[in-house]
Amino acid sequence: MNGILIVGLFVGLSLSIIVLAFVIWGIKTEQFDDAQKQNSGLLFDTADDLNDAINKENKKKQLHKS
Amino acid sequence: MKIACSHCHIKFDKSVLIEQDDLFFCCKGCQGVYGLLHDSGLGSFYDKLGSRTIQAPINTSSDAKKFDTQSFHKRYVKSLHDDLFEVDLMIEGIHCAACVWLSEKVLYDTDGIVQADINFSNNKAKIVWQKDKIVLSSIIEKIRQIGYDAYAYDLDEVEKKAVKEKKEYYLKLVVAVFGSLNIMMIGIAKYTGFFTGMDKEILSAVHVAEFILATPVLFFSGSVFFKGAYFNIKNRNIGMDTLVATGATLTYIFSVYVMLGGSGYSYFDSVVMIITFVLVGKYLEKIGKKNAVDIVDKMRATIPVDCEIIQNNKIVSKLIDEIQVGDIVLLKPGQKAPVDGIVLEGSGSFDESSISGESMPIIKNKTNQIISGTILEDSTIKYKATTNFAHSTTNEIIKTIENSLASKPAIQKKANQLSKYFSVSILSVALLTFIWWFFVGGFEIALITAISVIVIACPCALALSTPMAVVVGISKLAKLKVLFKEAKYLEILSKATTVVLDKTGTLTNGKLSVVKQTIYDDKYTQAIKAIVSASTHPVSKAVYNYINNDNKTTADINNIKQNSGQGFSAIYKEQNMIAGSIDYLETFGIFVNTNSSHTIFCVAVDEKLVAVYELSDELKENSQKLIEYLNTQNINIVMLSGDRQIVVDKVAKKLKIKKRYANMSPKDKANFITKLKQNQEIVVMIGDGINDAVALSKADISISMASGSDISVKLSDIIILDNSINKIIQCFKVSKLTYRQIKQNLGLSLIYNMATIPVAVMGYVIPLVAALSMSLSSLIVVANSLRIKNTKDKI
Repeated sequence: MNGILIVGLFVGLSLSIIVLAFVIWGIKTEQFDDAQKQNSGLLFDTADDLNDAINKENKKKQLHKS
Repeated sequence: MKIACSHCHIKFDKSVLIEQDDLFFCCKGCQGVYGLLHDSGLGSFYDKLGSRTIQAPINTSSDAKKFDTQSFHKRYVKSLHDDLFEVDLMIEGIHCAACVWLSEKVLYDTDGIVQADINFSNNKAKIVWQKDKIVLSSIIEKIRQIGYDAYAYDLDEVEKKAVKEKKEYYLKLVVAVFGSLNIMMIGIAKYTGFFTGMDKEILSAVHVAEFILATPVLFFSGSVFFKGAYFNIKNRNIGMDTLVATGATLTYIFSVYVMLGGSGYSYFDSVVMIITFVLVGKYLEKIGKKNAVDIVDKMRATIPVDCEIIQNNKIVSKLIDEIQVGDIVLLKPGQKAPVDGIVLEGSGSFDESSISGESMPIIKNKTNQIISGTILEDSTIKYKATTNFAHSTTNEIIKTIENSLASKPAIQKKANQLSKYFSVSILSVALLTFIWWFFVGGFEIALITAISVIVIACPCALALSTPMAVVVGISKLAKLKVLFKEAKYLEILSKATTVVLDKTGTLTNGKLSVVKQTIYDDKYTQAIKAIVSASTHPVSKAVYNYINNDNKTTADINNIKQNSGQGFSAIYKEQNMIAGSIDYLETFGIFVNTNSSHTIFCVAVDEKLVAVYELSDELKENSQKLIEYLNTQNINIVMLSGDRQIVVDKVAKKLKIKKRYANMSPKDKANFITKLKQNQEIVVMIGDGINDAVALSKADISISMASGSDISVKLSDIIILDNSINKIIQCFKVSKLTYRQIKQNLGLSLIYNMATIPVAVMGYVIPLVAALSMSLSSLIVVANSLRIKNTKDKI
């Protein structure tokens, strides 16, 4: 019985630490900085919009490479 | 019938719209942008926009070439690599997600632009481009083509540091809150076990789990306290940070000792809660710091880049930095004077509102002085520069604002001193307790008791008492439509000793209205309406508004001639009609007898006076109430105005203000405030015009109405969103109430400590009591602060 309780305690703790890690990642990579843009970006999901998004990413990647 | 413009979706009467192939446009700008978007395959912008309206394209006359100048690059552009440049821009006209999409799409599709990210929340954009493929002016032109405008802003080091610091605090707070929520849950099991008994095995597991949660909270979230304590010790000082750091570390070490096999209960939960509560207080102080950086950039953006100079009878274009004293500047209608000077040829009316705050244009003739930054309204004049740009009035104002923003003094807080004495006393009491119990009960008991003293005396409540009350006070004011840029202003406002008021726009409406009319012949009313409707001069507009309530059509008048802001002449039914100021009518041999102190507008037909209108700037509703309130609070009241003495005296008499000063330039106002501050006064400045900007930046606290000039609003510490004077009274009331609540909170937390510390010293405190009582004291402070919200009747 004690064993189950202890395992349960540490499994719960590990899961919540994983969630915390995601939140910290989100804050550090500015995922929450412009929530308005992120939210309304969901509305623009035509094939063209998605292609544009890929082009943008590619341009940025090139920038970081150079 | 009203129809929506095909581009901006704003509805207009069909008759005023431009029709083109079943499409309707409200202006050429909208038509141009619509055509351009469709031609470039960006028509889907309108699908994304839906039925929302946007701003019609911004018509920018300024030349984009200034973005390529060396001085601009030096100030705003960052060189990333050999061929890459980066600039931060503020995009004007962004309204919705579709606007962001369009701007980003157009920029990304442009060859040479590698990054163009626009932040929807604050309209700021970061643009990176390859310098051998495109120049910045072309990028700006692209933005302008699609109906927006952009100007550069300078994200300086201070701002960058502040943003970074805020983010770091936020991260630390997230970890601390996460730790406390989880440790509290585990704590419930632990303390239940305290009463009902718990297996040693489970208790050890609980201790380890608490250790896992407490360690990052202490060392990551609590690092701010360690840093603070380090600086405290370095400066031979003991502050709140030292107490928190010492208390938390000792408690942590003791708890680790318990976890590794020592007897008793761990205090990990107390470690986490001490850090979290005090960190919340610190974070509340950090957020909402005012952002004054882009004000100066916005001011610079309004200065013309170049101007026309007459050299050897030829007109040449010069950058304003190149103007020298003695140059002859040619100024055309609508242009801003780039430097100060003296009129050589011509006359015209100048809008000096940026300098004097008064909306009435002033007529300047030969040998009159021109101030830079003022706008020529009607004619063309030549003037001789008496300063270069660096020494011009406009540049002096910008420089003063820049300097005073950098050195804005903050009133030192007394709470820090209090916490210093508090910290020293607690640490001494803990030390004495340790020594006493060491001899009485041995090392372990001595350590447990000393730690209990520190835990129970944890200054959480003390740390929370000020920020909590201030945040509640500020949110109450926000509901009343008053915006505070920084929390500490509430405390300063409650201690204010002098209030300096601007006249026009603050105490008065800043708009002329007819207060009296004398009609000698009433058959000319419609003709007067026609003549005044032809001008945008404030006097004409006021007279027009006054007589335009009969819904009758205006009479036909011909041959209207305007004489540089002084008056008009026209032909009405073959009769000569003259309208304007008393002086203007005198030049036609028509004399008006009046001893009124108001502005006079008279109309004569065939040399016979037919109507006289008296105009005045009316006092705002509740101006009287504000003055009465300030008097009851024994606050000094001073009125400063750029207006004439006679007008200032009249307003002061009406409002019963004893100290008033007329003909004050922006610099005079600022000097006046500096002098007050030298006499140890805590000065509140209430103003609204560009002319008040310098004074606002010098005052301890500045308040402005949201309708005021952009610069003043941005510079002010407190903004009244609905422009009501009544809200200023409420500001004072809430700040005083909040300050009272802060004092109560401090009192409460001290009483709590005085009551609990002796119990802890005597060794009667069990861990549960320590943890609970510490949280309870913080909750009492929070609850007491929330009372500010419910004091509706008193405000």
